[in-house]
Amino acid sequence: MIVEISGHSLLVFVGIPLLVVAVVALLVFAPSIANGPRYRPGLSWWAPPVWINGPTATKPDPANLPELPGAPGATATAGSGVARTTGGASASW
Amino acid sequence: MPAGDAFTPDQLYDIEKAVRHAEEVSGLHFSVYVGGADSETRPFAIELLNELDDPDHSVLVYVDPAGRRLEIVTGSQAKRQLSDAAAGLAALTMQTSFATGDLTGGLVTGVQQLGAHGHQAPLLHANTEPHKL
Repeated sequence: MIVEISGHSLLVFVGIPLLVVAVVALLVFAPSIANGPRYRPGLSWWAPPVWINGPTATKPDPANLPELPGAPGATATAGSGVARTTGGASASW
Repeated sequence: MPAGDAFTPDQLYDIEKAVRHAEEVSGLHFSVYVGGADSETRPFAIELLNELDDPDHSVLVYVDPAGRRLEIVTGSQAKRQLSDAAAGLAALTMQTSFATGDLTGGLVTGVQQLGAHGHQAPLLHANTEPHKL
């Protein structure tokens, strides 16, 4: 038995289902394409560091500061080496 | 994993908004750092806090997504306003969100919570003389 397939029936029975599948796939994957890669705990982290509301200006390097007059041989103790009592909390997941 | 930014502009906006709101509510400076640590996370987070303009009145939230570590560091003055117990509660909130992969949601909720805990009620009649009979 020979079945003749016309262009019209091909469009209806193959073209339309393919179109529907494509639309559904687009709707499923569109959010992840728009948002980019999502963070998954346990997998490697890919992004460069982000510092929100960080320091406004870079502090001068203590090693490059001009020597203060009248204090020869004095070593600077201020800066990041100052021990401050800090509080807070830690967690891991 | 393909290269890209940690957050979309919308997500960054949400986090920045939460940070601004927390600052308004508490009067403290809030900063959020997301990235890997060169060394141990706690000393690294304290180093970052000391790089801020006013470390004593600052709160730094440090998140290491790769190492799955979270550190909340409060400055010497900020910790008077924001106790370690309150920071621990916020850390627990963030930890729950991070474990499900929601970095933005965890940061927004956690920072909001930190701001709310750091809020100090205004002292009414603080400068008036005590009532004398």
